[in-house]
Order: sequence, then C-alpha cells, then structure tokens
Amino acid sequence: MSARAIAVAPPPRLPAVTVLLLLGGFLGATLLNAQHTAPWCLPLALVAVAWRLRGLRAPLRLPTRYLRIGVALLVTGAVLAGFHTLNGLEAGSSLLVGMAALKLTETERPRDWRILTAAALFLLLAACLDGQALWRLPLYAIEVWLLCAALYALGAGADPPPIAALLRHAARSLAFALPFAVLLFVFVPRVSGSFWALPQRHEAFTGLGDEMSPGSISQLTESGEPALRVRFDADVPPAAERYWRGPVLHRFDGYTWRRQPSGAGPAPRLQYQGESYSYQVTLEPNQHHVLIALEMPQATPQDLPDSYVTSDYQLIEPAPSDRALSYRLQSYPHYRSVDALSAAARQLDLQLPPDRNPRSVALAHSLRASAGSDAGFVAAVLDYLRHGGFSYSLEPPLLDLDSVDDLLFRTREGFCGHYASAFTMLMRAGGVPARVVTGYLGGRWNRYGGYLFITQSDAHAWGEVWLEDRGWVRVDPTAVVAPGRLTEGLDQLLPGVGAHRNWLMSADWIANALQAWQGMNAWWQDKFIGFSLARQLALLERLGFRQQDLRAFALLLAGGAGIWLVLVAWGMRPRARAAAGDGLSRSWRLLERKLRHADAPRAAHECASAYAARVGARHPEYSSMLGALARRYARLRYGPTPSAADLAQFRRAVRRLRPPPRMRRI
Amino acid sequence: MRSSGPLRFLSEPRAAVAAAIGRWARARQGDDTAPLTLQGRRIYILPTRAGLVAAVLLFLMLLAGMNYSNSLALLLCFLLCGVTLVSMHECHAMLSGVTVLRAEAGNSYAGRVGELQLWFENAQARTRSGLQLRSAGCPPSCFELPAAASQRVRLQYQGGVRGRQRIERLELSSTAPLGLFRAWTWLHLPLQAIIYPAPAGRRALPAHGGDPRRSEQRLHGGGDDEWAGLRPLQESDSPRSVAWKVYARGGPLLAAQYDAPAGMQRLLDFELLQGLPLEPRLSQLAQWVLDCERLGESYRLRLPQLTLAAGHGDAQQRRCLTALALYGT
Repeated sequence: MSARAIAVAPPPRLPAVTVLLLLGGFLGATLLNAQHTAPWCLPLALVAVAWRLRGLRAPLRLPTRYLRIGVALLVTGAVLAGFHTLNGLEAGSSLLVGMAALKLTETERPRDWRILTAAALFLLLAACLDGQALWRLPLYAIEVWLLCAALYALGAGADPPPIAALLRHAARSLAFALPFAVLLFVFVPRVSGSFWALPQRHEAFTGLGDEMSPGSISQLTESGEPALRVRFDADVPPAAERYWRGPVLHRFDGYTWRRQPSGAGPAPRLQYQGESYSYQVTLEPNQHHVLIALEMPQATPQDLPDSYVTSDYQLIEPAPSDRALSYRLQSYPHYRSVDALSAAARQLDLQLPPDRNPRSVALAHSLRASAGSDAGFVAAVLDYLRHGGFSYSLEPPLLDLDSVDDLLFRTREGFCGHYASAFTMLMRAGGVPARVVTGYLGGRWNRYGGYLFITQSDAHAWGEVWLEDRGWVRVDPTAVVAPGRLTEGLDQLLPGVGAHRNWLMSADWIANALQAWQGMNAWWQDKFIGFSLARQLALLERLGFRQQDLRAFALLLAGGAGIWLVLVAWGMRPRARAAAGDGLSRSWRLLERKLRHADAPRAAHECASAYAARVGARHPEYSSMLGALARRYARLRYGPTPSAADLAQFRRAVRRLRPPPRMRRI
Repeated sequence: MRSSGPLRFLSEPRAAVAAAIGRWARARQGDDTAPLTLQGRRIYILPTRAGLVAAVLLFLMLLAGMNYSNSLALLLCFLLCGVTLVSMHECHAMLSGVTVLRAEAGNSYAGRVGELQLWFENAQARTRSGLQLRSAGCPPSCFELPAAASQRVRLQYQGGVRGRQRIERLELSSTAPLGLFRAWTWLHLPLQAIIYPAPAGRRALPAHGGDPRRSEQRLHGGGDDEWAGLRPLQESDSPRSVAWKVYARGGPLLAAQYDAPAGMQRLLDFELLQGLPLEPRLSQLAQWVLDCERLGESYRLRLPQLTLAAGHGDAQQRRCLTALALYGT
C-alpha cells in the first residue's frame, strides 16, 4: 500500500459491539437526566443515536462542518433561551446532551468516541448531583457498568471480545474498584464551600408552608413522602404525646393563617416537668427554616450552632439547605410557662379581622359569657365541636371567605386545619390569646430501622391557648371531632381515603417489605447522603486518632490504598491454565477419580495408555475397556482437532464406566 | 561519544534523556537470554496522554462533587478512580509472566529493513492483548497472546552499516485494556545480524569461466545443463524457467533449476573492480551475487586472501554475502 493510499483511507470503523455499547451508554445517561434537562434534549439524543445505528448497516455521510457549527450554535441558543444561563445543573447538562448528540454526527476516530464516553460519564455525574434517591441507585450502577464496558470495548480496538465478556470484565473491574471508592468516600476530607457559584434551584419542596388556608394541607395528607425520621435514645413517647412542632401561625385575615414575619425574640421561659425524651431527628429538605421538634424542645440542637428559638418556641435554622438535616434534641411533653405574656404577644394573638365571621364571633361571645373562666370557655368550645354534628373529612367542601362561619354553620365537615382554625378564631373572639401550631402528629414505628417514621401525610395543625394560671396550653380540636386521629394514622381513621394502601397493608409481608425499604432509605439518607466532615471527624476519633487533622486522613488514605493495591494485585495474580483444563482433561480426570481405588494413582510420567495398561493388568475384566478409552483419549488429544460430538461421546463413555471394586489390602 | 554528552543535552534534550534512561535500564537489568519470563521488576508503566486527560476529568468530577457536597457524585468519582487504577494493574499484568522462548535475527542489507523473529508463550489463563513489539526506528508489530498459547512474531529492524550488527534493544509494550496506561519492557536479547553490503552497481557480470556461447544457450532454456531440481518461483524468474509440466499436472508454480556443468561458473573477483572504492566494490560484488542467483548460475567469489568454491543456491548466496559483509572487519 502506498503512502498516499494510507493518507486518504478513512479512519478505521469501530466494531458494532463497541458502537452499540457506547450508544447505549450515552442514551442511558441522557435518560437519567431527562427530568431536569430541556425538553428537546431527549428527542435530539434519540435522533442522533438512531442515525448512528443506521450507520452500522450502511456507510454514513457525515454532515459538513458548517452544518455542524450551525447546529451547535442553535443548541447553545436554545439552552440560553430556556435557562438564561449556561451555568448550573439544568443548563449545563442540557448543553452537554446537545453537544454530545452533535458529536455523534462527526464521530469517526476512537478519540471522538472517547470524548463521547467522557460526556456520558459527566452526564451520569449530573444525574447523581440531581437525584440521590435510593431507588435511582440501581439505575446509576447499571449505567456505570455499561459505560465501563464501553471503555473496555474502545480499548480493545478493532477486534473486541463479545459483549458478554466485556460486561463480565467491566463488572470485575468495578468490583475491584468498589473498596477503593468506599475508602476514598470515607476518608477524603469533605471540604465544604462552593468553588463556583450556582444558580438557585427552581423547584419547590413539599411540606408545611408559611401559611395555612384550610384546604392547603389536604394535598400534604395525600402524600406519603418522608418528612422526618426520629431515633430515640431510650423510650418512645406514647402516641398521644407525639406532637411534632413546626411553624406557628399568628396572623389571621378571616380565611388564611400566616406566620409572624418577625417571630424572633427571647422565648418566655418554661418550667419542664415529668419525663424527657432524647432523640436524633433527620429532617428532609423543606421550604421553611423551622426545625421540627417534639413539644417542647428544651434547648437548640448542638449540631446546628446557628439555630435559635423564637418567642413562640419555633426552632429556626437560618442557613437554607437542600439536603436532609440531622440534629439531636431533648424534649419535655409536659411544661408550664413561667413568665407572664407580654403585651405585644397578647395583642398579636388576640388579633382578628374586624368584620369577618360575624356569626362565629357572636357564638364565641355567648359561650364565653356562660363559661365561668377561660378554661371553662375552652371546654365549652370543645364541647360545641364534639356535639355540634361535626365530622372529619379529607375532602371537605370549599369554604367561602368567612371560612369559620361557613364551617361551623354550613358544611360542618373538615380536617385538622379547619378545626384548628375555627377553634383558635373562637378563642380570640372570646378574649383568650390563641395561635395555630402546624407540624406533625404521630408517626409509624419502623422496626427494621428502629426509628419513628413521619411522612407528609402525618401533617397536622392544632391550637395553643394562653390560660393565665397555666401559660400556653396545647388544645387539639381535631381530637374531639375525630378521637381516633390521635392514636391511629389517617389510614385507619378513614377507610375510604387510603383504600388502596389499606388493601396493600393487609398483607403482612408487603407491610414488612415497605418497612424494610423505608429502613434502607433511612440508612441511605443518614449514613450515605448525610455523610459529612463532622461524621468523618467523629469516625477518626472512634478509630483512636487523638488529633483529627489532615495527617490522620492522609495516613488512613495512604495505608488503605496500599492495602487495596496489594489485594488487587493478589486478585489478579497469574493462574496457570493447566489447573482448569479443557473438557477432555476434565473427562480424563473423572476417569482417574473413578479408578482411584483400583490401583495406585497415575504417576506424573505415565501416559494415558501406560496407566490404562497398568490398571488393566490388575483388573483383567477392565483391560480392554480401559485400553480403548486410553486410545480414544490419545486420538482426541493428539490427533486432528476433534469435534464437539466426539468429545461429548468420550465424556459419556467415561461417565458410564462403573468403577472396579476396591482393592483388598493384604 | 562521552565528550559530546553534555552538548547533546542542549541540542536534543529528549533524545539525550531517552538514551540516559536506556543506559540506566540496561545497567539495571543486565543482558537477557531466552527463554525469558518477564517479571514485574522489569516492567515499567506510565500514563498515556489519554490517561492524563482522564486524570484531569476525574479531578473536575471531584470538584463538582465537592462543590455540590454531593455524596453520590463523589462516590461515582472515586469509583471511576478505582477503575482507572484497576486498569493500571491490568495493563501491567498484560506483560507480566509472558515468556520469550526464542529470538532470531535475519540478515539484512546495509540501510535496509531486516526481519527479526521472536517466539512468545503465554502459559497463563488470561489473554494478553494489545501487545506491540518494536525495534528502534521501525513500525511496531501488533499481536495478541491467547490463554495458554505460544506464537511467533516477526518484526522489522533497521539495518545499519555493513558488518555485524547487534540489535541492542527491543521494546514490548501494551496499552490494553483502557488505553490510559502504557506498560513496556525492554529486552536486551543476544540478537546479532549480519548486514550485507547494499547491492548496487551497474557493471556487467564477468564472463563465464568456460565457453560464453554455452552460457547463452543455457540462458535461453536450451542446452544440455544438468537437471538440478525445482524450487519455488520467485518474482524475478522469467516465464521460461517455470516448470510448466508440474503446473499442468495441478501442482504449484515452480522454477526448474539447472546446474551448469563444471567449469561453467562465473568468477566474481574483487580484483576485477579496481578503481572503485571499497564499499561500492563490495556492493557491486553483492549485486553480482544476486544477479547470478537470479539467473540460476553457478559462481565463485574471490576476495583478497579468501576464495569461495563454486556453487549456487541459498547456502552459496549466504556464504558469499557474509564474506562480503565481514570483509575487512
């Protein structure tokens, strides 16, 4: 071949196996990013992949450079138009998908395919950054596996092994690499802080809100998403005391309750009574800054040094977080206020819109007049709710602007938010300072994880009233309307609501499996996703390092990596081929095993026929059969390449052989 | 050579460093003899350019994971680091344990490419893939050793000046399996080739020692030369010399060979070429040897202090060319 011919020859085409693996890897990475990339990304990738697949059969005409530059500009423009930036996860991965799809239309040399693989790996990274849920983990694992196999196929060049061998090879490498990854994961210090600025995410978190219009919580109750998990040091509080305090709402406009913007201030002192509970909370990301705590937390958590208590006993963590927070608390379900109510607080919690809900205001006045005290007034209102024909429902009718009037005198149907709202409004109208507390009630015990699991469907709202002689007292009006709500979850209370879930839960093993899954999720959230520098330092301390500094990390990393390298080398140590042998050797070894009692074992220098002759001399009735087998073995081993059928026939013949009786010892 | 060392570091730093490393490896490893099983100590490994790029990409992944404080991304990054390091082990293991059974150097002409043959054996249960065997200045020979197999590998070497040439160093390397690392080993096998003078010169062959006319008859396929046998047809053979009868019977294309009767040889005499400098003289003699072989004629070679008996065929050609190669050395 002349030099000229080499110069104009097209670059070597990749084998179909390699192309398929690479395209599969790219497509998988695109799919994993589909939920946050621009809508045109997936179709674009599909078109590019389909076009490439067609190229496996017929030669492709690659588009000209100008066309490609034009499309590249188009993709960049589309990303800019959609996200107004090229920075950040959504914009970045959209751009990456677009450019990788474009790369497919010019990919000919192995180097281009390597770039494509790198793009797919970065897309996988983007997917990891976007979603760390446990259920996605198997998808990520499969994708990594696929891409590793693609890398091995690329490395094998023009003549790659079959796809199964590549996948096996990749799986073996990943298995070798996993201990190293875990080592680095645990002992590479987690440097905190951003290296480059990231735009804020646009999605909203579900959870308790900053305001409550009766009706807004109905959406939460239907969602089984995790809200928080609580691990108690010792005892678990009884169901009736599992009130998890969240945002406190003060401002009422007749329809909607809102938080007080400047809720901070010195918290009135409390006197704690009775038993206390110590526990660790893992709180899912949410949109407000309130740390959920069992009523009443005694102090702010040590793990979150910036957190503080507001005047209405909300725990606030000022730094926003898009990750689960973990903190330790101690709470006393029984407490009394020590300080008197300040005038400002009294005014805030007596505030009512002047001309709204007139019938309710009149009702409150009449009930207050007939009751002798504030406590009697509370009891009278609860009595009214208990006997007024009210019912609990998750799908109540809509209320008009005078929402409390509408509830009390027309619909008489609602859930916790409705009754908390009505109760608190009646209290204020009767001259008793009152506020709405939102949070969660109850929780399901997970025996696999050993923790209390509280979902968004446990969201709850109740009232808090100020009684002169006792201070702030929790009153849960829902408890009088639907007493079961306190001790049981919604599912048991309302058969109609969670019908499908009830049916599912009726099978024990499904309930167990769900609990196990939740337990795994909890472990994943706590131990894996929530792994932090603080945990690393605690681990170092437990390992016995006096000073938890960089040197300790370096020592552990170097030592661990050294051990790992040695182990990998040992795992890859050369293995002689002879030990495994081919099918023919195995058949012959089987023959020798069958004859092991007939005579002395075959010596290293003895060939098959000599051995057969020796055994045959000892057992004349076997002589001819063994001689024939030895001859067949020699022909199969040293003659022309035998067919599979011949080998199988030999194996069957050996299997049929009945071993001679044991030699009698003389 | 020694005095030019420091200057060379200035003029061609890369080549000088490579030479220094080569001398160091040679001193470290010593001479090799076949059979030789490659041990870990003599296998060197460094990242390739793709490997360096991969390192940069992995670092970027680490930064991204740290930036988002994202455990899963960090785990992915570390897992890929692990795969890279595993591939380093695998790359090293491609060479480790390979046995060089035997090595032979074929002779060549000055300034031309010659051929080496090496026999490799892989006694282990894994395939050695992506192997490249190379001699300095020549394209590599690529091969693969399946599990429990042995194989002959032919590769080119660059012939130098006339005389004996020792092939100092061969390089066996592999970038498998991922192309991120390149492992190599240097073989200092006792490979010695004889470099014949490059055949050149347009002088006519000297006349036959016997009757020139008989030679003409012989050339045209006639005459009463003695039948000597058949040999494989070469490109340079004229159609006249083809043994058509054999071909007609379904045999291969062979050339018929005839021995010229005794006394009909040409004498290729060093003294005939007086006036030429030594090397062109030897080149002309080498050319004549090849010409005679092509014509299938018998010939004698006479050098000062050495005369080789008449004959033809491969052995005679080798004898004569070797004598020319070693003349005066």
